[in-house]
Amino acid sequence: MSTITHHPITLFLIIFINLLLGITGCAHTGKSTSPPGKEDLTFQNQEKTEQSSPEKQENETAAEKMSDDKLFLLDDEEETVPTTIKDPLHGWNRAMFTFNDRFYFLVAQPLTKGYAKIVHADVRAVINNFFLNISMPIRFVNSLLQLKFKSAGTELLRFGINSTLGVVGFLDVAKIDYGLESSDEDFGQTLGKYQLGHGAYFMLPFLGPSSIRDSVGLLGDLFLYPIGYIKPQELSLGIYTYESMNGFSFNLNDYDILKGAAVDPYTAVRDAYYQNRKAKVDE
Amino acid sequence: MKIRSFVMVILCIMLIPAKTYAGDPTDTVTTHVDRVMNVLKGNASEESKKADIRKIAGIMFDFTAMSKATLGKNWTKLDTDQQQEFIRLLRAMLENAYISKILDYSDEKAVYIKERALSDTRVEVQSKLVTKSADIPMDYRMVKTEEQWKVYDVIIEGVSLIKNYRTQFREILSTQTPEELLQVMRKKVGKI
Repeated sequence: MSTITHHPITLFLIIFINLLLGITGCAHTGKSTSPPGKEDLTFQNQEKTEQSSPEKQENETAAEKMSDDKLFLLDDEEETVPTTIKDPLHGWNRAMFTFNDRFYFLVAQPLTKGYAKIVHADVRAVINNFFLNISMPIRFVNSLLQLKFKSAGTELLRFGINSTLGVVGFLDVAKIDYGLESSDEDFGQTLGKYQLGHGAYFMLPFLGPSSIRDSVGLLGDLFLYPIGYIKPQELSLGIYTYESMNGFSFNLNDYDILKGAAVDPYTAVRDAYYQNRKAKVDE
Repeated sequence: MKIRSFVMVILCIMLIPAKTYAGDPTDTVTTHVDRVMNVLKGNASEESKKADIRKIAGIMFDFTAMSKATLGKNWTKLDTDQQQEFIRLLRAMLENAYISKILDYSDEKAVYIKERALSDTRVEVQSKLVTKSADIPMDYRMVKTEEQWKVYDVIIEGVSLIKNYRTQFREILSTQTPEELLQVMRKKVGKI
C-alpha cells in the first residue's frame, strides 16, 4: 500500500481518486478543482505571511521559553518554528470534515467492518502485501528524487524478491527473510524535502486531510501508480477503492480513538495530519 | 578470609545499584506494556480488563506532567482547583477513548528499538508495534519523578499526543475562558 493508504487518518481514500483520475485522464474535467487551484501560486508566501491567522504562531520570549521548558514544551525543537498548519480555507475544510466524518461513520466504517468479518486478517494481510508491492514505483522514484539511494535500491530489491519468491508480491519475503523494510515515500514528501511548504490545509472529500502541496503530490504519484493505468477507468477506480478498504480494515479504530480523545476533533485531525507529515518529511 | 570479605564487598556493590536504581526507562515501559498485553490476552470480563488497564495506566503515566504540557503557558491561567479538575478530566478523556478500543487489539507485538536522552530527567523510548499490515512507530517520552520513570507523552507515527492536545487547547483558550474549556471537557467525559 502506498503512503496514501498508510496515512493514519486518511482512512477513507475511497471515491475521490476518481476525480483525480478524471482530471489526469480527460482534459475537459480539469476545472473541477478550482478551490485549491487558486491557492497554488501563493504557496510559500502564505507560510510566511499568515502570521495574523487565528492559529497564532509561537513568538515566545526567552523568559517564556524557560518556563515552557519546565513544562516539557521544548523537547527537541524550537517552538519558534510554526507548530501548526495554516488554515485559510477553513470554511471549505470544516464543511468537508463534516462530510467525511458522516461518510466515515455511515458508509466506510460499516462496510469495512463487514468486509473484515468475512475475510480473515491473514488473507487481508496477503492482499495488502500485493498492493504494497505494485506501488513500488511511487516509493522508488520519490526515494531517488530525495537522493535516498539506499531506500531506492531497497525498493527495487524488495520488488525483485517479492515478485518472484514472494509469489507476485503476496508474501513480503523481502522483509521477513531478508530484513528489507519498505520506505514510505511520496511526492508530497519530496516537495517538502525541497522546502516547499504545505501552502494551506486542504480537506479532500473522501480522502481526508491533506494540503495544497500534498494534493499536488497525490496527483504526481498517480502517474507512478500502476493501477491508475488500468482501463476502463471504472475498473481502475474499483480496484483502488478495494485496495483502500483492505488497507483501512487494519486501522478500523484509529479515527474513533482520535475523535474520541479530542476536545475539538476538527483541530485534532488537522494537527495530527500536520505532525504526521512533518515527521515523514523530516525522516 | 580475605577472599571472603572481598566477595562480600563485591556483592554489596552489586546490590546497591539494584536497590536504589529505579530501573531504566525501557524496562519500565516494557513491563507496563507487557502487563497490558497480558490483560488483553486474558479471559477476564471486559469490565475487569478495563479496570486492570486503568490501574496500570495510573502507574505508567504522569497525568500531572501531561496536563501541564498540554496547556503550556496557559497552565497558569487556571487556578489550583481548575488545575486539579483539568488533570482529572484529561485522564478520564484519555481512558474513555483508548481503553475500550484497545480491547480489540491482542495479536500485536511491541519491539523496542532504542532510548534517546532528551535531558537529564527526560528520555524517549522508541518502539514499534508490529501488526499484520504494518509496523507502527510508537515512542514514549518519559520523565523521572521520585525515582520512577513515568510516561508524559506518546508519539504514534510522528504524532505527539501532547502536541495534538496543545494545539486544540491553545485554539480554544484563545477565544474562551478556562472555565468554558473545563465545561467542554466535562461534557466530553459525560458528567455535567
